[in-house]
Amino acid sequence: MTSKLLEIKDLSAGIAESGKEIIKRLNLTINAGETHAIMGPNGAGKSTLSYVLTGKPDYIVTGGSMHFCGHDLTALKPEERAALGIFLSMQAPVEIPGVTTQVFLKHAVNAVRKHNNLPELDAAEFLKLLRSKAKEFEVSTDMLKREINVGFSGGEKKRLEILQLSLLQPKLAILDEADSGLDIDALKIVANGVNQWHTADNALLIITHRLDLLKQIKPDFVHIYADGHIIKTGDMTLAEELEISGYKNYLEASI
Amino acid sequence: MSLLKQNTALFGENIPWLEGLREKARTVFARIGLPTAKTEAWKYSYFKEDALNKPQIDDTPHQCDGHCHDESNLPFATVEIKYCNGKLTHIAHDLPRGVIIRPLYEAIEDGEIKPYLNKSFDMEKFPFAALNTAFLDEGLFIVITADTILNMPIYLHYHQHAGMNRLCNIRNIVVVEKGAKATLIEHFDGENAAQYFNNIVNEIYVGTGANLQHYKRQNKAQKAHHVALNSVQVKADGQYNAFIVHGECALARTESYVRLTQENASAEVNGVYRLAQNGVSDITTNIRHLAPHTNSDQLVKGVLDGKAKGVFQGQIHIAPDAQQTTGYQLHRALVLSDEAEVDCKPELEIFADDVKCSHGAASGDLDAEQLFYMQSRGIPLNEARQILIEAYLNEVFEKAKDSAVVEWMRDSCL
Repeated sequence: MTSKLLEIKDLSAGIAESGKEIIKRLNLTINAGETHAIMGPNGAGKSTLSYVLTGKPDYIVTGGSMHFCGHDLTALKPEERAALGIFLSMQAPVEIPGVTTQVFLKHAVNAVRKHNNLPELDAAEFLKLLRSKAKEFEVSTDMLKREINVGFSGGEKKRLEILQLSLLQPKLAILDEADSGLDIDALKIVANGVNQWHTADNALLIITHRLDLLKQIKPDFVHIYADGHIIKTGDMTLAEELEISGYKNYLEASI
Repeated sequence: MSLLKQNTALFGENIPWLEGLREKARTVFARIGLPTAKTEAWKYSYFKEDALNKPQIDDTPHQCDGHCHDESNLPFATVEIKYCNGKLTHIAHDLPRGVIIRPLYEAIEDGEIKPYLNKSFDMEKFPFAALNTAFLDEGLFIVITADTILNMPIYLHYHQHAGMNRLCNIRNIVVVEKGAKATLIEHFDGENAAQYFNNIVNEIYVGTGANLQHYKRQNKAQKAHHVALNSVQVKADGQYNAFIVHGECALARTESYVRLTQENASAEVNGVYRLAQNGVSDITTNIRHLAPHTNSDQLVKGVLDGKAKGVFQGQIHIAPDAQQTTGYQLHRALVLSDEAEVDCKPELEIFADDVKCSHGAASGDLDAEQLFYMQSRGIPLNEARQILIEAYLNEVFEKAKDSAVVEWMRDSCL
């Protein structure tokens, strides 16, 4: 029997301040072990979906439902969703001057452990864990001592996001444009990291408009997303077809 | 002025020059009086209530349970001096070589204090310093003799017990002679319910090539008023660095009046304040560049919540012949509630043309994107806010020179 991780039903959501609706009656179910890719033109609201799922305060749910492992997500704070196992690798990871990467990561790891009634790691235990993982993602000791994301290159930022994925071991990883700004080597590191983490017990939702990452992390499902919902679902061949002919055909068809 | 009428027994009323100075101060204070909302230098932090009608000068001999003689529990060794309820109660017995620390009255009796006492400021401009002079009694005379490099900080611990609401006028004269180097820590704390009004005047003389690191930490004391004037004179190649931390209080005002009188004299005034109730923190500076090639730098950051108020008034004065001088100043505040208030008044008076000066001010709330990023990694909102606040203040702490002292200072505003 497949285990349902995320179940989105008729979800509508938009910007809290203006009330502008961006997601319109979206349906999506993700089971453990699966990899889903959401592809769509810029401005279609793909990132909005990632923020609505993770509870960013700028967005508001106006209809439908979203459940994660049986929990109603709309009732949970962002940190509670993270502790339950939802991870978002952001398109533009945020710079936090004054907070070193290492200190930030320790706070995050221990916050999630604490929420799940696990003992917090002391400085030595955390350092041991961090060092082994950092090596894997070619994150240097120097990077760990720098302020988080401040002055990091695009590739450094994305590698750090995947290092966090590996440290926090979530059940669902949402990768929002995780391949943007990456050279071939960095892309490989990111893809390997994700593939290593991915098991039959967890799932992936990849948001992208390019094929680069999908060629290395093979999706089971490819969804075309436009005008706030999924207009077509297929497999990897759909993504390949998009690369050749673009979104045009589908967008016209959906109007 | 009811304050002046208080019948108080002061030391040395039979010393003519001292009594003459007090009399002059009484005349000045009677004329200028306490600052009001209309006093420019005090307009943001005048005393709303009768803050000064209630406290009394305590002229009874010092009495308390004796704890004021206990050793401090600081995480580093110091040359310790204690004031309890505004009275000098303890001076470390074994002073390091080259250090002279005496009660003020001794140095008044033999006249040694004369070249320094009331020589660094004009009472007309500082009402509380005039009041302090009118009641001149308690205090210290500290000399770091020429070329002495003092490794241990001199630690002035001012403790207040609950009970009488005391007005404590304290005068410390600190002389760092030619080529000497020292650290001075002032630490204010009190029992939680203690009500008091500290009126401190420090006259600090930094000699040629000398260096003084001056730290001030004021612990939480909800009903306490702190007013302090640090009147500083720095000679050629001398350096004065102040680091001020204001915690919860009724009012805390630290005014740094620094005169860079000779070439290559420099000063830094850095500060941090964190208030979340209804107190007022006021950091006021007046850095006077009076000679060429003098440098100053100021960075003050505050965090305000509740109905608290933060005031920064920063004046940089550059005299006509103080060419090739630099003077920088930056004040920033985090305002976390709608009812908190921040008032900032930078003033640049530049009469020389070959100078580099800047000032800046900004206030705002915590960054929502940063908070969400941390939450999305599982860090609870309150913890995320705390991390950001500490990071915000950290920029100032990084400027302080002595890391052990800095860690101890940082403790008081976490």
